Amino acid sequence: MNRESSRRNFLAAGLVLPAVASASRTSGQSPQAATPLSQPAPPTKSSAPVFQYRTLGKTGLKVTSLGFGCMITSDGSVITRAADMGITYFDTARSYSGGNNERMVGAALKGKRNQITLSTKTEGRDKEEALQQIDKSLSELGTDHVDIWYLHAKSKPEDVTDELIEAQQIAKKAGKIRFAGVSTHSGQKELLPWLAKNPNVDVILTTYNFTMEPFMNDVIAEAAQAGKGIVCMKVMAGGTRGRGASPAISEKLHRDGALTSALKWVLRNPQIGTTVPSMTDMDQLDANLKAMTQPFAAPDEKILAMHLERITPFYCRLCGECAGQCRQGLPVQDVLRFATYAEGYGQFALGRERYLELHPSHVQAKCGDCPNCTVNCPYGVKVAREMARAQEMFA
Amino acid sequence: MMRAAAVALACGLALSLAASAAAPTCNLVPGWTAQGKVRSYTQDNLFEYMDGNAEGYLLYGFQTMEGVTCEKGGATLVIDISDFGDSDSAYGMFSATHDPGQPMVKIGMGGQIVPRRALLVKGKYYAEIAANPEGDYSSTLREWTAAIEKTLDGSSDPPAALAWFPAEKQQTLRLVPESVLGIGILKRGYVAQYEAGKAFVVEEESVASATALMGKLRARFAGSSPAAVGDDGFQATDQYLGKLCIFRKGKYVAGYGNLADGQDGIALATALAARIR
Repeated sequence: MNRESSRRNFLAAGLVLPAVASASRTSGQSPQAATPLSQPAPPTKSSAPVFQYRTLGKTGLKVTSLGFGCMITSDGSVITRAADMGITYFDTARSYSGGNNERMVGAALKGKRNQITLSTKTEGRDKEEALQQIDKSLSELGTDHVDIWYLHAKSKPEDVTDELIEAQQIAKKAGKIRFAGVSTHSGQKELLPWLAKNPNVDVILTTYNFTMEPFMNDVIAEAAQAGKGIVCMKVMAGGTRGRGASPAISEKLHRDGALTSALKWVLRNPQIGTTVPSMTDMDQLDANLKAMTQPFAAPDEKILAMHLERITPFYCRLCGECAGQCRQGLPVQDVLRFATYAEGYGQFALGRERYLELHPSHVQAKCGDCPNCTVNCPYGVKVAREMARAQEMFA
Repeated sequence: MMRAAAVALACGLALSLAASAAAPTCNLVPGWTAQGKVRSYTQDNLFEYMDGNAEGYLLYGFQTMEGVTCEKGGATLVIDISDFGDSDSAYGMFSATHDPGQPMVKIGMGGQIVPRRALLVKGKYYAEIAANPEGDYSSTLREWTAAIEKTLDGSSDPPAALAWFPAEKQQTLRLVPESVLGIGILKRGYVAQYEAGKAFVVEEESVASATALMGKLRARFAGSSPAAVGDDGFQATDQYLGKLCIFRKGKYVAGYGNLADGQDGIALATALAARIR
């Protein structure tokens, strides 16, 4: 099976999940759902969301499957409203907006601390810096503890150093955090199995969306089976802003309803504890609440498949899998990135400048002269065609 | 065709020159030497440098970043200068990331220096310096911000809109890049937080679009009542935005929200309208 078709199967895999997901929801619903008598009353209004609750691994924390990523939220009223509507998981980080985000989140959730699960993150490079940051985080958030404290943006096991783990254990013993987590945007293939085996890690926050490779399901399942709580970010595949997102892509994703389809796609994996999409306004909040209650259906699959088809031929995800594959030794990822500078962001001069900084033999190379390109992009980028186009453009 | 290509090349060269003009170098301040290579990032690969934080930059229209790490006597300064495309956006980034609890310094359009961190905004450029290891680098950072400020093109005048907001009891004043007050149709504007209540100003493209926006806002806040403010105004109450007074003046839609009992929304909004030019 080639990798492109295997990734399509990853998308289609959503189709076989409903029964499992439903079973999981039944067993993992809200604490109130433990007995028939204590089940939540049906909504009195058709617009009222019916929440799904899931458990974050062995932490036992029960959270709504739709959480709230507060990173880019500007107005705390959206966070307050989300909490009032029943969302129970809120995520921020010390570094967001130079620390201002934590302050805003703390103010928005004032008086609601006992109703919600709150997480923050540290980018501290050593134990002392991390421990200073948790104290500052608690002060800004206006609480004496956070439920989950993540070591932020780790991409390989070596990044999760012993002294950072020690900092988490110290904070845990001091009652400043309840559970220790690690967040990761890349390198999951190696990192998640390693984290799954690490007894000091309770929760993993990872990028997870419909554009990723099939191995993600496997490593998430491995971690979940090891008792780790799984929280997902970038669930909308950078749909509005993020890696590879351009204004044109963003507009189309919005128009087609692909963002809610992408959220539904993630939510139907029963291994996922919760998700933290960014929300900046009440309308996004309402749309995501609606998505949470709707099953991933054939129209969603069609929308996402269409977007995969559309973005695949040119969308370099900078995964680095192509390194060393070219017979001519060309730095494929770099050349495609320079082309993106020029075409995706209108920075032709920058793209050309970077291109001309390559080794002279690479600058002079012509992919059109080389039959049977050996570079195989796991995401289906038509490498030979895109390289030839870049060479022509920058010549 | 050739002319278009020539124009594109000229524009490209101009862009290239503009980008290199903002690139920091360690010899800006005597005694410092470069540690490692110059860093360059665009919207496309900022994640490689700050995965988990890049969205905050992209939200404000981040274009490119040039950075360098400088070393002197065991101390390092991580210096990054970002191009945000225009001065409003650059100031917006500064307004979102500076610490409102710390004093500002008068440099460029605005600056802030704390023991291990300095921020500076001038024209379309936003500069950040982080100092390591632990210590008080205030004097070093003052020297560096002054040196960097001289290399940056662009205005040192803060956005005119800042002066529209009353300063009394103002806690923060920042550019919100989308969803002002958490309302999607209020796309981008300045918000001032006060001890009680918050004021906002959103600039629309035209009087017609501002008028249409007012119609949508009225529809959103059921039970609103007219208010004689600006060209058109209304008052309303919302569960999350509290007592509101919103008005249009020309192509600007502005007003107050979360007003406390006893605050006169119409009087405050009228004063704000008078300052908007």
